Amino acid sequence: MTDEKKQLEIRGFLQLDAFLKKKYGTMPVFYEIDGPITGIELAKELGIKREDIEVIFVNGFVQEVNYTLNPGDRMAFLPPGCPGPYRIALGFYGKNQDNAANFKIQRKDSK
Amino acid sequence: MSVNRWVLEKSNCLPLFGKGLIDGVVFSMSFIRLSFKLKEVFFVNKFIRVNMETLEVTVGTVPEKYAGLGGRALTSNFVNDEVKPTCHPLGKNNKVIIAPGLLSGTTAPNSGRLSVGAKSPLTGTIKESNTGGSSSQMLAKMGIKALVIEGMPKEDKFYIIKVTMDGVTIDEAPSQILGGCGNYEAIKVLNEKYGNHVGMALTGPAGEYRLPSANISFKDPDGNIRSAGRGGLGAVLGSKKVKGIVIDSTGASSVPIADPEKFKAASKVFAKALLDHPVAGQGLAAYGTDVLVNILNEAGGLPANNFTAGRIDHNDNISGETMNATITERGGEGKVSHGCHKGCIIRCSQWYPDKQGKYITSGFEYETIWGLGADGGIKDLDIIAYIDRAMDDVGVDSIETAVAVATAMDGGLIPWGDGEAVLKIVQEMAKPTPLARIIASGTSVVGKVCGLFRVPVVKDQGIPAYDPRSVKGIGLTYATTTMGADHTAGYCISGNILKVGADIDPLKKEGQVEYARAMQIGTAAIDSSGMCLFVYFGIADNPGGYQALIDMINAQYGLELTADDLDTLGKAVLKVEKDFNTRAGFTNHHDRLPEFMEYEPLPPHNEVWNFTPEEIDEVWNF
Repeated sequence: MTDEKKQLEIRGFLQLDAFLKKKYGTMPVFYEIDGPITGIELAKELGIKREDIEVIFVNGFVQEVNYTLNPGDRMAFLPPGCPGPYRIALGFYGKNQDNAANFKIQRKDSK
Repeated sequence: MSVNRWVLEKSNCLPLFGKGLIDGVVFSMSFIRLSFKLKEVFFVNKFIRVNMETLEVTVGTVPEKYAGLGGRALTSNFVNDEVKPTCHPLGKNNKVIIAPGLLSGTTAPNSGRLSVGAKSPLTGTIKESNTGGSSSQMLAKMGIKALVIEGMPKEDKFYIIKVTMDGVTIDEAPSQILGGCGNYEAIKVLNEKYGNHVGMALTGPAGEYRLPSANISFKDPDGNIRSAGRGGLGAVLGSKKVKGIVIDSTGASSVPIADPEKFKAASKVFAKALLDHPVAGQGLAAYGTDVLVNILNEAGGLPANNFTAGRIDHNDNISGETMNATITERGGEGKVSHGCHKGCIIRCSQWYPDKQGKYITSGFEYETIWGLGADGGIKDLDIIAYIDRAMDDVGVDSIETAVAVATAMDGGLIPWGDGEAVLKIVQEMAKPTPLARIIASGTSVVGKVCGLFRVPVVKDQGIPAYDPRSVKGIGLTYATTTMGADHTAGYCISGNILKVGADIDPLKKEGQVEYARAMQIGTAAIDSSGMCLFVYFGIADNPGGYQALIDMINAQYGLELTADDLDTLGKAVLKVEKDFNTRAGFTNHHDRLPEFMEYEPLPPHNEVWNFTPEEIDEVWNF
């Protein structure tokens, strides 16, 4: 029997939606943690690549990727690709000023 | 009967076609006057007026004051100059103007957007409605800067305006496309009559009945439908008894470019800026705009159940990710990615197929899916797709209709989440039944009919897809835009917006006024260029992309504009539109969100709209 208080409620958007559904067979994914964990650490545990994360959502708020998550949180990984001015309006830019990975313009031929 | 009357304006005796040398032409942008030399170019600045009262066509050159304008800058200046602000939008004094953008018809990526302007029967304000399709590039290549339709016929007949390189003719519309014939069938009939290669703008059944949500439907390169959706301009075209405009660009040459090499180089940089960006190059192409369902839902800003909640549980049913998986799985005619006009390299559209793989609809946008799926609670993406197709077929704005539907559900006119009932009502807009008329009259009318206070409109236009209580910057744009609630009014980059953006928290006031102001200014400028607003992604994060856009305009017209000049253009456009609205009777008291948002907290963040009138008015302080 799982302890809901120890679980994170995890979602993945864009390509991470299919990735998590394939890996865990459901969306959202309920993932047990023992204590606080950063978004980066969680991504590593789930097998999500660093460059596939622009920001994370935590309990409905945009946060930088190394934000600390606690048991019981609802969170989501959002890859680069959110359209519209909403990346500004929802605060992506404000959370990513020191995060070079998120606004790096990837060259297609460099992949 | 075919009427073919040409009246050449005697004051404009320059050749309409042919090669000439123009030296020292004054290039005016109303806000700025620049002199420049164009050598060895084709003179291609036709300004066509179609008088539906006399059935006469006048072809002249572009009035000097409009010479440097395109797209929204041209339509809004013209409407402000020539349309009586207090006129009835469906009366003889309203005028419709259709104008390609400054870069339309060139090889610039994503430059195939078209602006349609008039006084709106939905809002009573000035309106610029923007569309993809084939018409913008065709008109631009034909050297047509604007097509104006004015007056009203005395006889109760519908007409087809045909525009070719040989002239403009006004034919009676074929009877089989009148009185309820859907747009898909009308395109087939007109294709057979005029050829598959022609561009087309259509007044659907809703426009024939002059319903306030009626759009103007434009044929896209595949013979499907794109829409100048918002503001009811299809009703204005219908009031002038124009069933359709057929554009045959056979014989048209390419758009003249003052400095082709510079243009080519800038275009290459611009295309790369778009394609290299993860939003334009990957996100939109794979998931379409519907990718926003999950994102806004997670942010608690996805209006649900007529704006009583900001999050739903069935988001996975209607998300862009699910749409992508469904199209991929069904195959057949389905396409995950598709462009709405030639030269689109972002390709955010798609062909959504049924379970047998047969095409249902395209351009299946987030705002439509949100309105029906979240705000109206319809949990089946297939039925939403059929409703989207039906809205295209009868010719109504899918955003206004979806918001009106959810409001009608709140008012007890339609059961919550009943997609089949909604589909039937939309199909009945072709007759139309009394209930169909009510829904197609827009959200504000529905709210009154149902006796509701929770009516999500600004200036009588339905609020789209992003709840202002959870995304406050968007709320300021909804409140203050000249267009009535319109998310695309504040969509694009301007000047130093990234510095503003760095400080924004969606639930806090700080920086939001500056954000809403800068976004509206930037959008007005981009809307004038003929560019799709989605080029935003390639220019917001890549300064080289923005400069390349300016370089293309400079190369085409032989100018030396700067980013500041584009900002100046954007500001000038907004002020012209504001001037029209002011003379139509609008004040800053109309720049307000619906009152219920001030006292109904929106879960999950339980925020209310808390900007004061004085703070809202600051958006216009420029």
